[in-house]
Amino acid sequence: MSEIKPPRLFTSFFRWYCKESLQESILGDLQEAFYEEAEVKGLLKARWKYIWTILRFFRPGIVRSLEGTQKLNNYGMIKNNIKIGMRSILRNKVFSILNVTGLSVGLASCLLILIYVKNELSYDTYNINYDRTYRVIQHFGGRGADLKNEVLPTSEYQVWGNAPVAPALQEFYPEIESVFRFTHGFNWLVEYKGDRYQEKNVVFGDSTFYKVFSWDWISGNAETALVRPFTIILSKKLAEKYFGNENPVGESLLMDGEDLYEVTGVYDIPSNSHFRVDAIMSMSTFKGFRPQIFENWGYVDFYTYFTLNGQADIYDLSQKIPDFLDTYYKSDYGYTLRFEALKDAYLNSDAGRQPGPVGSKSNIYLFISVAIFILLIACINFINISTARSIDRAKEVAVRKTLGSLRSPLISQFLIESVLITFFATVIAVLLVLFGHSYLEILTGKQLIIDWLLSPINLLIGGLLVLVLGVLAGIYPAFILSNYRPIQVLRGSFKNSSKGIWLRKSLVVLQFALSIMLLAGTAIVYQQLEYIRDYDKGFESEQVLVIDYGGDAKVKQNLQFIKSELMKHNAVESVSLSRATPGDFFPNAGTTIEAPTGEMVNKVPYIYEIDEDFVPTYNMNIIAGRNFSKDFPSDTTTALLVNESAARFYGYSNPEDIVGKNFSQWGREGKVIGVVEDFNYVSLHNEVEPLTLRYSIWWATEKFSVRLKSRDLGGVLTELEALWKDAVPYYPFNSYFNDISFNDQYEADERFGMIFYSFSILAIFVACLGLFGLTIYTSNQRAKEIGIRKVLGASVQRIVSILSLDFIKLFGIALLLAIPLSYWIMSNWLGSFAYQTSISWQVFVFAAIITLVVSLLTMSFKTVSAAMSNPTKILKDE
Amino acid sequence: MSRTTYLGEFEELILTMVLILDDDAYGNTIVNGIKEHQNREVNLSSVHITLYRLEDKGYLESHYGGATNVRGGRKKRYFKITNAGKAMLQEMKDARNKLWKLTPQLKFSHV
Repeated sequence: MSEIKPPRLFTSFFRWYCKESLQESILGDLQEAFYEEAEVKGLLKARWKYIWTILRFFRPGIVRSLEGTQKLNNYGMIKNNIKIGMRSILRNKVFSILNVTGLSVGLASCLLILIYVKNELSYDTYNINYDRTYRVIQHFGGRGADLKNEVLPTSEYQVWGNAPVAPALQEFYPEIESVFRFTHGFNWLVEYKGDRYQEKNVVFGDSTFYKVFSWDWISGNAETALVRPFTIILSKKLAEKYFGNENPVGESLLMDGEDLYEVTGVYDIPSNSHFRVDAIMSMSTFKGFRPQIFENWGYVDFYTYFTLNGQADIYDLSQKIPDFLDTYYKSDYGYTLRFEALKDAYLNSDAGRQPGPVGSKSNIYLFISVAIFILLIACINFINISTARSIDRAKEVAVRKTLGSLRSPLISQFLIESVLITFFATVIAVLLVLFGHSYLEILTGKQLIIDWLLSPINLLIGGLLVLVLGVLAGIYPAFILSNYRPIQVLRGSFKNSSKGIWLRKSLVVLQFALSIMLLAGTAIVYQQLEYIRDYDKGFESEQVLVIDYGGDAKVKQNLQFIKSELMKHNAVESVSLSRATPGDFFPNAGTTIEAPTGEMVNKVPYIYEIDEDFVPTYNMNIIAGRNFSKDFPSDTTTALLVNESAARFYGYSNPEDIVGKNFSQWGREGKVIGVVEDFNYVSLHNEVEPLTLRYSIWWATEKFSVRLKSRDLGGVLTELEALWKDAVPYYPFNSYFNDISFNDQYEADERFGMIFYSFSILAIFVACLGLFGLTIYTSNQRAKEIGIRKVLGASVQRIVSILSLDFIKLFGIALLLAIPLSYWIMSNWLGSFAYQTSISWQVFVFAAIITLVVSLLTMSFKTVSAAMSNPTKILKDE
Repeated sequence: MSRTTYLGEFEELILTMVLILDDDAYGNTIVNGIKEHQNREVNLSSVHITLYRLEDKGYLESHYGGATNVRGGRKKRYFKITNAGKAMLQEMKDARNKLWKLTPQLKFSHV
């Protein structure tokens, strides 16, 4: 039989809530009653009664108060401090609002930047094999160059390479687990049940994609999806475009009006992937079309990625590259390769021909500095306002001290106050972040994930951060305040003391300096982006309409007819046919041109395939020789144009000299007939690369470029579309203005600029808040002085200038600090552009003037009213 | 005569019980006493609360003593009525008697 005892759980519950002083007698009574009851009515009833009575005891008078009956801890004190803190926050509404606004805007900006930077750094990390995935970057040199043992700088390589390297690597290196290749995206006309669209980013890919990349797999069987020829997997976006909510697996798409491809799967590449493709067709299809290029080490169209097994070291693999090339590479063309880690692909790769947009490390550094600046400015505000205000609270401290308070509780009191303000600011900052997040997504054009912000560990870190920030911002005022000597303060001789002034002044200097730096930075970023936009690209692309027919076979058969139809329109000035237009994709090709020495030199410049109307349509300049012309029928097969840098590339410093030299390229031989002035066909992040322009045979073209005379572009566009529909009913009218598409590549820069401007404005706003607070404070402090000056006849302007002069001195010091620092930071940033604007002195003048004007304006709110105030009111209180 | 504090019915009952139990008045004996004399179940918690309240008002005083085994060695808190308490009870009784005298003679229908 179990022992008769009152339920222990409830006994301890009672002990927990009951006041210490009452516990003994009540528990005694309870237990006595329990045994009595147990004897008379049985154990069960006694238990219930016991429990019930304990629950009934839970009422005021019995329950202990929160502070505890004996003060064994400081809860009471802390409670009191919080109360006092709240009161003082509420009493000084202006300062509290300034503090909380400044801090919360600062924190929110900081957090938003953090979100952005974190997203940039998170690229490709979704891959399970992130740490052991690499890609092959390849270098194609000229004929006769032996590069097998060379290790060139990574910028000499390109990501886009040949096909046979992938199986060869897998055979040579047992450490390689799986290899995945995909081709460059081309235009495909995709048709499903009468819906026809041109899709840009459709590639061929190996069936091993799922082993290398961990994309989200939505439907179908990933392992077999791309094994058979004529299969295609679609991105979620494309699947929804053609099939809506239905499952596309098993359906078929008509590609380019020729072949039916069976849809075998739907995938989704995360937004933080360094490349994204809209659809992948099986590589076996491509191999069926053109088997020879899978053996050709010189045919460039493939990006190659591979994963290593867990033990392998990429360094060992790199060491064996010469052996590898000896075994597999049998041509006398120079060729070599390197491995690049996936984790470097987005931010650390300077190799050419990337499969997608790359990020910019220098932009990230710039953002991080802005974040730090903003946080610093906000903290400085806080420290300044609190130290300045500390004098107002000196009396409170003095009284507390007289009543026996020690220094440490005083310090903790002020720390609690500042932590409290930081806490409020953080709460508001988080709200601002939730609100600003969608704006940031619009600005960056990226999907930014913020779930991680609310994970427990980050909340903990956030909490700690609040504490640290609060303590940091509050520690100086707390020590100053607690150090006051009560006698001095209470006697009243304290008011004009200059305690903490040097610190406040140096902080103001720092703040000014940071603001000037931000403004100068903003101006330089703006100038650089303007510079790029307005840079003379060497061709005119306004009013050039590009009609992209994607190299469609049916269209190709009627090219000359379509061209003449387009020319018939009276708004059309000229029409050109080409494979590439400035700003989009173009291939490169091994090209042999006679060097000044007479020797035939093989190099691999980029190529454009154009017709005789291309150069006039884009208003390019021929600086030597002549353009292609109908008057020379042989031009179509035996002539070549080069650009200036290609002329230099082949050793001609004077472009005139290359005209008339022999060339051979892609099965053509003949003479170089002219040199085109360098034009920027990629972007101004890079120098103009050597380019050859060859005459395009009709089947190699993909686009019409139409130069329009009219300014009424909208009207002409509709007419041209109607014209196209008549002439080419089977292909959609897919057109865009070349300058717009060209500027697309500056989109990342533009976005960066917008983000940068926004945060700079926020930072300067925060700095102004702080300045405003300080001015309020100083003019309050100097109210008497102002009063006396007025009585003695000082004018309003004079007083305003006296009040502002202090700040202007500090401003001067700040300017001296800010100029060299921002010069250094910004010239580092500019280093990432091939074409840089120079940093002019006007930038700093601009930054200085703006900062000065804004801060004087901010101060004038208060200085003017102080100067206008009636001296009798101020002076009468003593 | 002016009184600012009045006693509730339950308070009066407890006060009276303490008076009756004399030297042996603590939580449990009061509960039992009320059950015995009035056949009324009261909860220990209400009794304790009321005792403390009466002590606060100055009608009772308390001391500790008489730990027993069955209580787990815990002391009892004995309550004793103060003079003020006695005076209060007396006063209430007088006041009621005075009122009773003013009522018309009770007539019981079945006598």
